[in-house]
Amino acid sequence: MAVTPKPEVEPTGRPVEPLPCGRDAARVWDHAAAGRLDAHELGCPHCTTAVADARGLLRLVRPMAIEPMVPPPSLLQRVVGAVLIERSGRDELTLQSPHGPASLSRVAAAAVLRHVVDGMDGVRARSCRIGQPEPGAVHVAMTVTARFGTDLVAVAARLRRLVIAAGEQVLGLSVRRMDIEVVDVFDVPEPGVVR
Amino acid sequence: MTATTTGHADDHDLPPGVPTAPRAGRTGGRDLDEPTLVVRAQEGDLRAFEVLARRHQAALYRLAVRVLDNRDDAEDALQDALLDAWRRIGRFRGEASFSTWMYRIVTNRCLGLLRRRGPALPVAEMAEMVEVAEAGTGIVPMPARRPSPEDAAELDAGLVALRAALADLPTQQRVCFILRELEGLGYAEIAQITGAGEQAVRGRIHRARTRLAEVMRPWR
Repeated sequence: MAVTPKPEVEPTGRPVEPLPCGRDAARVWDHAAAGRLDAHELGCPHCTTAVADARGLLRLVRPMAIEPMVPPPSLLQRVVGAVLIERSGRDELTLQSPHGPASLSRVAAAAVLRHVVDGMDGVRARSCRIGQPEPGAVHVAMTVTARFGTDLVAVAARLRRLVIAAGEQVLGLSVRRMDIEVVDVFDVPEPGVVR
Repeated sequence: MTATTTGHADDHDLPPGVPTAPRAGRTGGRDLDEPTLVVRAQEGDLRAFEVLARRHQAALYRLAVRVLDNRDDAEDALQDALLDAWRRIGRFRGEASFSTWMYRIVTNRCLGLLRRRGPALPVAEMAEMVEVAEAGTGIVPMPARRPSPEDAAELDAGLVALRAALADLPTQQRVCFILRELEGLGYAEIAQITGAGEQAVRGRIHRARTRLAEVMRPWR
């Protein structure tokens, strides 16, 4: 939990509350909170009054900042439940079936394909867009991130094979076109590798 | 970095099978970076959104509790804010960080609730509290929001008084003070969250600080 404000660039705007010594009381307060008082602020009676106020209040505020406060787990469950109800039956892909047309949620299909990519070492799926030119067939456009130093050409070829296989074997959809774009790299070490 | 490869499926042999125990999948996406989770959520991946919400919900809940000074209202505000975020995540363009965007949604929800709630706590009650304290009677001042027995057991009088003083600040000052002093955010980020200029944010925080310093002087 953050209680110490992030370091600030010194403001260039007009003073919020000019002190008789010419300093801005708001800025003196920031310096006191950050423990970065200069020689003037340590010796000037106007500034030291502002510093005393700042330190006194900060001592009282800190216990409040570290009060444990966590929302109940049921809160997120309620949100997820509401979303599931809201979006049910929307945006579906059509599957070929000898028993007549069947459908599959486009979001669920994308989740399955991302899951397959996430299973590869050194790659993570980011975007997965699925288009359907005709029933039973799809075009897949994926963006991925790759571990720094990964052989991208080899990974892209393997990724294409896996996604096509997953499309057919898991989803029952023929992947007619598969576009892959590596959009970022990450630097998480391989599992079991100690640096 | 961008590398693109495009091809038709017929160009490639199929592998014998598909992995069944994916590495990132094992952790339910918890190890994924935030841009990846955001893109996935924008494409309708509820699990990715859930991971994002789980990462940020404690900070968002703290903000709501402190702004509203009521845990039940804070739960309602956070729940509505998360639903808002899900519905609007397609419009999130990444100009600010995801947490800044979420803070803004929660802040707006809280402000809406406060507007519907009507006028804030009576100022007279705070004035009375200060007078009692200044008289040096040693009597524990009565906060504007009366503490429950549970509060009294858990918090010392100073903390209770600070909560009351905070609740009595003008809303915009309270929001800015909380984001700065309790959540540790910078002025620029607070300006993005509240939609006010950075100079206005500095002014609000300073006025809140001086007001609280004055009210809380007896407890220092």
